[in-house]
Amino acid sequence: MSETLSPAVARPDHITDAVFYDFDMFADPAYLANPHARILDMHKSAPPIFWTPRNGGHWMFVSHSANFEASRDVEKFSSEIVPQSKIKEMLAKLPPGAPHIPQPLPINIDPPDHTIYRAPLQRAFSPKAINELKGSIRELAISLIEGMKPKGSADFVSEVAEPLPVQVFLKMFGLPLEKQAAYRALVKEHMENIKNHDPAMIVRRMLKLTAIMKETILDRKENPKDDLISMLWQTRIGDRETTINDMENYCVVLFTAGLDTVVNGISLGAYHMATHPELQQQLRADPSQIPAATEEMLRRYTFTVPLRRVSNDIEFQGVQLKAGDRIMLFLPGADLDAKEYPNPEVYNHKRENSVHIAFGAGPHRCLGSHLARVELQVVYEELLTRLPAFSLDASKPVTFHGGHVVGPDHVWLKW
Amino acid sequence: MKIRIDKARCVGNARCAAISETLFPLDDDGYIAITEVDVPPGQEQIARRGARACPERIMIIEEDSK
Repeated sequence: MSETLSPAVARPDHITDAVFYDFDMFADPAYLANPHARILDMHKSAPPIFWTPRNGGHWMFVSHSANFEASRDVEKFSSEIVPQSKIKEMLAKLPPGAPHIPQPLPINIDPPDHTIYRAPLQRAFSPKAINELKGSIRELAISLIEGMKPKGSADFVSEVAEPLPVQVFLKMFGLPLEKQAAYRALVKEHMENIKNHDPAMIVRRMLKLTAIMKETILDRKENPKDDLISMLWQTRIGDRETTINDMENYCVVLFTAGLDTVVNGISLGAYHMATHPELQQQLRADPSQIPAATEEMLRRYTFTVPLRRVSNDIEFQGVQLKAGDRIMLFLPGADLDAKEYPNPEVYNHKRENSVHIAFGAGPHRCLGSHLARVELQVVYEELLTRLPAFSLDASKPVTFHGGHVVGPDHVWLKW
Repeated sequence: MKIRIDKARCVGNARCAAISETLFPLDDDGYIAITEVDVPPGQEQIARRGARACPERIMIIEEDSK
């Protein structure tokens, strides 16, 4: 889909010709035509670390080495895009009784507080806890795929990829039926506005989210059940009790981090399989290869682009960075770096080094990675078991979006 | 053969445990529970695979000197 390029800002003094490259991560035409082909081209035509004047001006870390090192160095590369001290100042100025503005903690906070806010979620999203959900995730996947099957042709994104993670969350949260419709409507609004990154609009949506969930959150404090909200009430934030504000923050972080990521990841995998009938055949013949295939599809089509802020003026891998500079950790670039993965464009789930950083590296490693892996594997397994050979519907070409979560808008399959 | 693990830098990817939960036990939060694996004879191959699966590259394989 074609988008208008954002205006180019003036080049700051510390940006040399050697690190300048014009790339609009939301609107670059070649990127939107085929994101991962454009990234492979970028490895040949762009510097491994470059500054682009688009979208306010920011750095893009394209190489594996830059992404890996920066992700793990939380002192030099802060996740507090707006420093928490400034956020606290702004919040203190709100009139008394103003609604709590939820924040996606622990995504946008640095250690040591990051560790404290992340700890309560860690157990709920551990491999062991997620494994217990596998059966119910499979039931959901089966019902979505069987629902779409009689049609002979369908948009995989809206029929399977979008509803699945939403239904998994609704189950984990234990949100009552009458609130689920409102939650689904909000997810729809969020997905339809994925290209619009206006902060004020995002805050309004997050306030809607907490309004939908508040009653259930408060109820679970008094009447704990076997769900995630009840469990989070029973943990502590460091040495203090969990508050309603913390609970709202957790709901927001799961909403913003756990929905469109999975949607795009599964859709990219379905797109790859639809265009590679020989892979479908191979995996149908031997489903024990599906976990390895899931990993290689994550590497070949890595889809998230986390943001960092440079803490102090530094030289990093030979490049001058200034305090306050914004960095895009371009993980899709990292996982297509030929220095790390020979012939990176080739899908090969038996490649020698298949260890990717699609879920990031360092302490901010995607908390939901174990859930995402189960969702991806189960959907691929059931898709291959239940559908005959499928391909793209040539009458409805695939279009893509860029931004912080890259992927197809729709993937029309036919079988 | 031994695997030495920089446990403090584990971020809970649990890829090692996906290869072998016995060799690479996790704690309840999903982080590696140990700092060293004394690899039982015959399990060298699976231990190497588990160590190499770590996206953080915090597992050092120490082969026996012959």
